[in-house]
Order: sequence, then structure tokens, then C-alpha cells
Amino acid sequence: MAGHPLSSLLRPASIAVIGASRDPAKWGCKVLRNIVGNPYKGKVYAVNPSVSAIEGVACYPGVGDVPGGVELAVVIVPSPAVPRVVDECGAKGVKALCVITAGFGETGPEGARLEERVRERAASHGMRMLGPNTMGFLNNAIGLNASVVPKMPPKGEISFITQSGALGLSLVDWSIGSHLGLNCVVSTGNKADVSEADLLEYFEEDGDTRTIAMYIEGLKDGRRFLEAAKKVRKPKLAIKAGMSRAGARAAASHTGSLAGSDAVYDAAFRQCGVVRVEGVGEMFDAAMALSTQPRAKGNRVAILSNGGGAAIMASDACERRGLTVPELRRHTKAGIARLLPAFASVKNPIDTVAKSDHDIYRDALRALIDDDGIDCVLVIYAHGGFTNPEEPARAVIDALRDKCPKPVVACWMGGREVGDVARMFRRNRVPYYPTPERASEALSALIRHYELGKAPRK
Amino acid sequence: MMLNEQEARELLARYGIPLNESRAASSAAEAAEAARHIGFPVAVKALSGKIVHKSDLGLVELNATNPGEVILAAGRILSVAREIDPAAGVLVSAMAPPGVEVIVGGKRDPQFGPIILFGLGGIFVEIFRDISVRVAPVDRAMAMDMIDDVKGYAVLKGARGRKAVDLEALAGILVAASRLMMERDEVLELDMNPVMAYGKGAIAVDARALVRD
Repeated sequence: MAGHPLSSLLRPASIAVIGASRDPAKWGCKVLRNIVGNPYKGKVYAVNPSVSAIEGVACYPGVGDVPGGVELAVVIVPSPAVPRVVDECGAKGVKALCVITAGFGETGPEGARLEERVRERAASHGMRMLGPNTMGFLNNAIGLNASVVPKMPPKGEISFITQSGALGLSLVDWSIGSHLGLNCVVSTGNKADVSEADLLEYFEEDGDTRTIAMYIEGLKDGRRFLEAAKKVRKPKLAIKAGMSRAGARAAASHTGSLAGSDAVYDAAFRQCGVVRVEGVGEMFDAAMALSTQPRAKGNRVAILSNGGGAAIMASDACERRGLTVPELRRHTKAGIARLLPAFASVKNPIDTVAKSDHDIYRDALRALIDDDGIDCVLVIYAHGGFTNPEEPARAVIDALRDKCPKPVVACWMGGREVGDVARMFRRNRVPYYPTPERASEALSALIRHYELGKAPRK
Repeated sequence: MMLNEQEARELLARYGIPLNESRAASSAAEAAEAARHIGFPVAVKALSGKIVHKSDLGLVELNATNPGEVILAAGRILSVAREIDPAAGVLVSAMAPPGVEVIVGGKRDPQFGPIILFGLGGIFVEIFRDISVRVAPVDRAMAMDMIDDVKGYAVLKGARGRKAVDLEALAGILVAASRLMMERDEVLELDMNPVMAYGKGAIAVDARALVRD
């Protein structure tokens, strides 16, 4: 990633925290603590004219007084002081800025003017700038938490770009609770310089990112986003909040009133291959499947379940989302029939009539993957309390051990007693969901990603 | 500022969009003369950039079949329209044979710039908002995809024994509208509502354009 204009920002070799503070209630203290309290290996300096050391980090009166080079400056000084600090950073040869300070464009026209001044100065020094009004970012690949978020999420392959700071915060906490791994989380703040488009380009090249998730309230330059996103081959998911038509000007034409902002976002996302999702849960369910599974070649789903009820619910959930649950090849049915009691159903969805033995699940799953009329498989285990949920889970993991050419998602229904399965699946890169609806929604996102990647029909 | 229909038509014609023949007139007698040129039956409409909702105000008369009817319709329309806009005239247009009505439009979106809209006309667009949208430029393949996208696609493909309409012709109009929106920065919004689609060909029978002042 060295050489990418944003690598100085997201993978810096050295950091100065300007406006570092001893007061644990202040962000200048929290951010410094987060940087030094995590495995980040680069050089860290604190800048504050009135103290000599904070959190065991040497403190200098100005960024110009720092003895070594500084690649990234994290700025947490009061807003009127930011333009001066930006100039000092420029003079020092700093490469990138992360301006956490608020009180800019989000406050009104006066703040917007200040923001423009800061942007111009950063640009004149050739520095890229995240924010202002950002909650910072974290990068698990280098163990760096340059944000106000107190804890690092588990390491993963999803990078998340968020326009809402608070949503980013809560999401990190949520990902810790749900064992969902994240690679980077970047809060874009006011996007005076670095925008979603820049970050998309960066994450496309970033070897640690497999899926890019975005929370967007409004794009500043939609066309630039569209052009950047078109070039990104990795799966891209987005929540676009603010669908209401409030504030839309009374249109003079039919087109004006029909093609509202939301319809245009829908069209734009589709044109650049961004899968639009409704909410955070849905986005990360989909991201888990997209990061770990191969591309779906089509929408034909096979369902394997130890219970008829869950199987039927899963079929319904798939069909509601435009997926099909087709008849299996005769050869597949014969193979699976040999594994099951004579009265079991070998129609898709397959009901093993309460059988969840390791070999049955493993061999049935393999047979389904081998069926050339099937594009993806949904494996369900409904916990009745009399079988061990880990046994069929191990079977899924074993069946997928040799690189599986088709996406497989798992749905383990139950509460406390299926809890350990979540960890097993996560370690082995099997996307796992507690309900058939969520599993089928994730499959549908996988398939939509594939369809968006295809050229438009001639 | 809203162009009057004649100006909007001239703009569309420059991009090769087929339109039914129309002539502007500033009096009832001129309207009758225009109708004789075009051939009967004709439609008579108020011609003014200041009057947006012509049909709501009763300023559209369809199917005038002789000079007498044209004089009557134009006289009535002119007297009402000139209370709103003293410079109003009338537009006399050839009656287009009935076809499947669709809407084609364009607009400049604040985030994405020029966008193109396609929809099935009449109640499909009014009630069901059955539309598809793309950020311009729209090429032929994308235009076909847009047409395919509307829920009422079956209607265009000839549902229940009806003849399919000329999808290529519709795609051509979409591509032309896209080119217009991409090249003419001053055009903010554009409506062709309706475009009449036939087994062979399609023509815009109404035109509206909002341009920067």
C-alpha cells in the first residue's frame, strides 16, 4: 500500500497527537491512550505546550519541535487554532492530517468558511486530510486505533466507511459483541478533503480488505463516487440514510418529481455495483458472506435442514427475495437418499428428519455442492436439545475444507446451547446466522453483488 | 425558466428525437391555417412558458377535425391563456394515432448531475410510479436495460395478445435525451410526456423543458 496517497493517513510510520491532554475526560487524552494502548509499532509523539509527557509519551510544545519525522498528525485543538496548526504541520513536512476537532461546516456558514480555509491550507501543503469533525479511524492491520473508540474490534476483512461518528462507535462495540471482524473503520466527518470515493480507491488496493461497507447520508460529489466505485471489484455494500422526500423542491416537471434523490441513489448504486442494504445488521450479515464466500453464479439455492419447519421457512425466505429453491438432479437425490432413512424427504429443501450426524451432514452438503443445477447452499440446524449442535457444524467445516467453489451459509437456530458454534464458524470462515431470514438475506446480497458485476443486457 | 412547448420541441428535434408535426399560431385564424397545413385531425394547446399545467386549466383541445372546430378551440384557449400570459399563443399539432404511452425525461440531480428517467405513461406513472432511472450518459444497452426494468415491461412486450412496441425506437429516444442532458448544461429538467410507442417507431407528442435563467 505504500505509495497510495492515503497510506500516509491510514498506515503512518509516525504520529503526532496535536492537542494531546492529561485530562482523561478530554478527547486529546482518549485518542493518545488509544494509539499507545494498542499494538501499533510506529513512533508516537504528543504535542502540548504546557506539559512534558503524557501517558509516558514525550510531549513537545509544537509539532515543529518534534525531533523525528511525523507522517500523520491527529489534530484535537480548538477549531480557531486549526488553520495555524495545519500550517505548522505543513512546515514540518507532515504528510496527512486527521482533524478530530468539530465546529466547522456542521455548525453553519461561519464554520463552513473556517473549514474551507483549513482545506485550502492542507491542500497548499500537499497534505491529505480526514475530517474535520471525524471520530478518527482504526486500522487493525497495523494495530492502530487513532480514534475516540475505546476498544479495537476483532481483526477481520471488512472495512467500514461511515459518515456518522456515533454510528461508527456503536458499530465497533457491536462487532466486538458479535465476534464480527473488521479491518478498518474510517469516520469521514465533514469530508472537506478525503471522501468515500478516495477511501474506496484505497481499500480496493488494500490487501487486508475483502469487503467494503459504507454508511452514507449524502455524497458531496456523486459523479466522482460513481466513477471511483465502478473501478472497485471488491464487494461494496451501502446504507443510504435519509430517504424522505422532505425538502425536495416543488418540481416543474414530472421527471423532477418522480426522480427524487432516493431513486437517483438507487440507480447510481446499481450502476457502480454497490449493493444497497437497509440497515446495519443486514449490512454486516451480508459483509460476512461476501468476505468469506466465493461469488454466486446464479440464484438457485439448495437447503439442507434437520427439521421441516426451518426448511420451509428458509424456502419462503429465499423465494421472497427472488431466489429459487429448484428441484435437484436425480443423481444428487439418489446420493442423499442413501444417507437418510427411507421416509426422509430428498426434495429441495431437504429435511433429514432430525438426523444431524457428522457424516450425513458432510456428505449431503458435498452432494449439494456438486449438483450443477445449484448455485449456493443454505445449511440449517434447528437445535432440539437432544443432539450436539457442534457435530453438524464440524461437518460443514469439514465439507468446506477443500476450497469450495460455491457459497455456503449456515443457520444454527437456538440460544445458549448453540453459542459456541458461532466461534467455530467464525474461525473457519463460515458465515453463520441465527435465523433463516437473515441467512437468506445474506445469500440474496451475495447474488445481487454477482448480478451487478455483470454487464447490462444488450 | 420554462421554455414554451414550441421551443422545447425545437431543442428535442435538434437531438434527432421524433416529434409529431406542430406549428405555432398567434390567432384563431392562423391556427386554422396551421391545421390545414398539417392535416386533420389536430390538437390545439396553449403555447406559453408561463403555463405549466395546460390540461388542468382546460387549455388543451384534442381531435379538432375541421377549420371551424380549430377556430373555436383556439379562440377559447387564447382568451383564457392570455389572462395568465398576455404573450400566449397556441400550438397546433397533428393528432398522433393511439399507441402505448411512455414518459421519457431528464433532470440535473444535485449530487449526480444529469439523470435519465423512463416510465410507462398514464396511470402506471401517476399511481404506481413505475419508473426506472439511470445516471447519464445512457448508452443503447443501458437504455434497453432501463426499459426492461419497469414493472410494466410486459405491456411493452405485448401482453395478452397485444403487439409489442418498438423497443429500439424507445431506446433511441433515451440515448438522445441522455446526449442532450450531457451536452446542454443549461437544461435543468426535461419531460416528454407522453411519448407514443408503436409497433414501429415512437414519437414524442408533448415536450417540456426547464432551463437555467
